[in-house]
Amino acid sequence: MQSEAFRKVLAETFVVVPAYNEGRVIGEVITGLSSAFPNIVVVNDGSSDDTAAVLKGLPVIVVKHPVNLGQGASLQTGITFALERGANYIVTFDADGQHRPEDALSALRMLGDGQCDVVCGSRFLGTTSNMPRTRKIILKTVVGLANLTAGTKMTDAHNGLRALSRKAASCLAISQSGMAHASEIMSQLRLHKMDIREVPVQINYTEYSLAKGQSSLNSINILVDLVIGRFLK
Amino acid sequence: MTFKYFLVAVLIGFIFYLLLLPRVGYLRKGVIFAVVLTMLVFAIRPDWSTSVADAVGISRGADLLFYLSHLTLFFVAFVYFVKFKEMEVRFTKLVRQLALENARRDAGH
Repeated sequence: MQSEAFRKVLAETFVVVPAYNEGRVIGEVITGLSSAFPNIVVVNDGSSDDTAAVLKGLPVIVVKHPVNLGQGASLQTGITFALERGANYIVTFDADGQHRPEDALSALRMLGDGQCDVVCGSRFLGTTSNMPRTRKIILKTVVGLANLTAGTKMTDAHNGLRALSRKAASCLAISQSGMAHASEIMSQLRLHKMDIREVPVQINYTEYSLAKGQSSLNSINILVDLVIGRFLK
Repeated sequence: MTFKYFLVAVLIGFIFYLLLLPRVGYLRKGVIFAVVLTMLVFAIRPDWSTSVADAVGISRGADLLFYLSHLTLFFVAFVYFVKFKEMEVRFTKLVRQLALENARRDAGH
């Protein structure tokens, strides 16, 4: 793709970053993103630390949940806001420093080429540093379950880095406020017959991100949420 | 015998309370009424529970009531869990609307 064309894509892209008590790292994450992306929406999900104060000096639009709702709810809020502002492309990006802006650019490049509707990051296609063995086993199990319920053939699930076209983002109505949203997103995209591709990404498992991330036992809660979610539909 | 009378009085009181409850659907009222009535019958005639238990392959009436009460409690817990989740969805929508309105105002829209 011509760099001029990609600059146009970048100008029409909004990066949505859901953040809950990420004051320690959010500054660094946004600084890294803002060098490449002009439009960044941070959804401050009722943080009780200094996240709001750190965000004040940064080139971002902040949408603030008065109370903590969960990552799924934050993503939906950010996506709705970005669509309202005329975004043609939306990138979702975790606030804990696990993702690299260059991977977001790779995903966007693939999407910008117009070959598909959604590009998801896959840590199992790329290189991942310091991934604990138990987490790897659990993630592989979750991928299997997610593929089974959503009817997809993905190599990764619960990866926060995604690039969505406006058409794909408009299909989403995330009702899973918690961590079950990742499987729900895939189900909804599949339901609307979106063309989904994967791009290799590198995940940096730092001490901070591992402490912030969900516990392995939470995969059981995710499963329960997905089952209950079906009853509510 | 004193506890039996107490139990019967409480159950009859509950039936009256149920009949007077406004804004509860007939189906739900009917199900609760049937459960309370069954409890009332078994409280007055405990030997009938043994006959029913025998008919469904459970040896003692007390065991039958134990299983039934567990099933009822599980059902009630599940119904309230689903209700709680529904409330959570509504709450999320309300908070999102508030957050978006504030963001639009801040952005000058």
